[in-house]
Amino acid sequence: MCVCSLCVSAPRAAAGVGGGNDFQWCFSQVKGAIDEDVAEADIISTVEFNYSGELLATGDKGGRVVIFQREQESKNRPLSRGEYNVYSTFQSHEPEFDYLKSLEIEEKINKIRWLPQQNAAHFLLSTNDKTIKLWKISERDKRAEGYNLKDEDGRLRDPFRISTLRVPVLMPMDLMVEASPRRIFANAHTYHINSISVNSDHETYLSADDLRINLWHLEITDRSFNIVDIKPANMEELTEVITAAECHPHQCNVFVYSSSKGTIRLCDMRAAALCDRHSKFFEEPEDPSSRSFFSEIISSISDVKFSHSGRYMMTRDYLSVKVWDLNMENRPVETYQVHEYLRSKLCSLYENDCIFDKFECCWNGSDSAIMTGSYNNFFRMFDRNTRRDITLEASRENSKPRATLKPRKVCTGGKRKKDEISVDSLDFNKKILHTAWHPKENVIAVAATNNLYIFQDKMN
Amino acid sequence: MEYKVEAHRIMSISLGKIYNSRVQRGGIKLHKNLLVSLVLRSARQVYLSDYYSGVCLNTQHVEAKEWELMDSNQEKPLTPAPEESLSPSTDCNQNPVVPEDPEVQHTSQAVEDSTDLHSVYSKHQAEEESSSEDSTTDVSLTSSPVTCESQCEAKGAEVSSSDCEADANPATVTEGNSQQPPKAHSCSNRKRTAEKTASNDSPVKRTKVTSSNSSEEEAEEMDTGNVSNLITIFGSSFSGLLTKESSEPEAETEDSDSGSGQICCDQMLKNLNPWSTAIVAF
Repeated sequence: MCVCSLCVSAPRAAAGVGGGNDFQWCFSQVKGAIDEDVAEADIISTVEFNYSGELLATGDKGGRVVIFQREQESKNRPLSRGEYNVYSTFQSHEPEFDYLKSLEIEEKINKIRWLPQQNAAHFLLSTNDKTIKLWKISERDKRAEGYNLKDEDGRLRDPFRISTLRVPVLMPMDLMVEASPRRIFANAHTYHINSISVNSDHETYLSADDLRINLWHLEITDRSFNIVDIKPANMEELTEVITAAECHPHQCNVFVYSSSKGTIRLCDMRAAALCDRHSKFFEEPEDPSSRSFFSEIISSISDVKFSHSGRYMMTRDYLSVKVWDLNMENRPVETYQVHEYLRSKLCSLYENDCIFDKFECCWNGSDSAIMTGSYNNFFRMFDRNTRRDITLEASRENSKPRATLKPRKVCTGGKRKKDEISVDSLDFNKKILHTAWHPKENVIAVAATNNLYIFQDKMN
Repeated sequence: MEYKVEAHRIMSISLGKIYNSRVQRGGIKLHKNLLVSLVLRSARQVYLSDYYSGVCLNTQHVEAKEWELMDSNQEKPLTPAPEESLSPSTDCNQNPVVPEDPEVQHTSQAVEDSTDLHSVYSKHQAEEESSSEDSTTDVSLTSSPVTCESQCEAKGAEVSSSDCEADANPATVTEGNSQQPPKAHSCSNRKRTAEKTASNDSPVKRTKVTSSNSSEEEAEEMDTGNVSNLITIFGSSFSGLLTKESSEPEAETEDSDSGSGQICCDQMLKNLNPWSTAIVAF
């Protein structure tokens, strides 16, 4: 039974509602070009709500960050229902070149993480493969006018012409949102950064690459502490890499990191300066009957997320999502199959590289539901209490305002029913890797290639 | 045999991925290449076990005994393992040169390599146990990835010059067999040649071994024109993965491994090299 205060229990079952306390997900908005030819730079690579849910940030492969702000619901525009509009756009990272290795460093934004708001300005961390930047997004709606030494257009005034002294006055101006880089944390990672996570102390954050995890202080850019190092002395003995890392939401000394072998290690920074030895080791024994060439690939964890409560964590591997209780290391407490019908297609997916896709997952605000993406622009939601699940699609065809999303179903064999789609008809180029759930409300953001879809739960 | 074909196909695809990863924007992705190399290893094991058991079943036993006698440094109880008989350490210092690799690859002497492969494999494995630092010989190793790789791959042993040398020995043995008619016959021939521990002509032998792969055609498609590049690009083999993760299965599949390693095609071996090179490059 869901005790979530946001749960809307519709009196009627209605259109196969499921996946989270009788939610009825409706289309709200879509951002991005409709063009069929998608420029690679426009592909969204990360989506993140801030702590209040008022701001929604996206990063793309071109190194740009676009922040949307939710409009305040007002009587003047009752139908807007809290729409997200562009608040700020800036170029966070540029392509770089590593001269020593003769390698180009992609400007793709791998992750964006918001800092808790402490004053009028908003801060976020954005990272590409090598460099993390702290951005300050601030509003300016006043401007000083009446300077003595310069004109309104900025030109210096001739000192000899100045005969009187005046005090500049703040005059209102059109709202301008400025983004400025306040800190640049560079040169700390030899390998590609895959995760950043702000600590609950709001002073430190961690960044993880394939083999190392570093702990930074937000104010200090010229050094960081290396807290995990799994690089073997002989690189030829490499067997696993770090795939994701996250700080515990409440305990600032605890963090977890996942590996390509499907294991998760929880570390306590109080135990030692170097956390190579884990405090807890989470691993589910492999099912020998399902072993194949690709068993190792599909067991690689692509994302790990703590629940808001801090009691559970969720991991995403290629075919499933698992919820772990931090107190139980030998197996997850819940396992949800995302697209089990792909298990027989692993060879084809290996050939077209889809098997390497890194899907993310997210919790809802009350930890009662989880969401993750799939192919064909499908995304899946699982209700942890009712154990119901639902498959929805992010597509332009379903993009009528406030249109309820129809549940989708994949036909795995046999006779294909009406409205079902067969596995072979799935479009593997349309993949939903990045999704985000509003921290307090039933609003979700789903990134489908270059488009950002926003869905809301139908209110009463 | 279907498994063999499938395994070979997967190996080819994996090699292609590793190769392409070098030219991808943003540099070599460690995670993806690690996963690809794991698939490569699994496919190779299947390929070798399937091939070996199907082809050299009889000679396997004979060889095993002979090799065991020769085995001196063997740490693992390899059944067919011909291990160190060829005193790899001394051979290691030589840097095999395989200029004719490209051409050799095109020659197909598939089966005859099986027995030698086995010996090579076990030798390789032995090498691995006692291999010395190979960093200095990386460059030279690249020059003869084809020949070394099969063994390296089979074993997953590090591509140390010693390994290559060790392989070279068996390779030379196979040379004599190259003129032989295929399979069973060559197997037995190899066995005999393998007994010779002459450490010479490793490159020549290697090329023959590698090229003898009947299924090389597929591999050839991949490295035609790229062989020299691959050779120069790829460094030591990615022995770490193979040795650590498959120490047990390796013991079982050693027989097949030795055969498969070489049979599998130089490409595969070469692919292992780029991976390790990529890793080393990091």
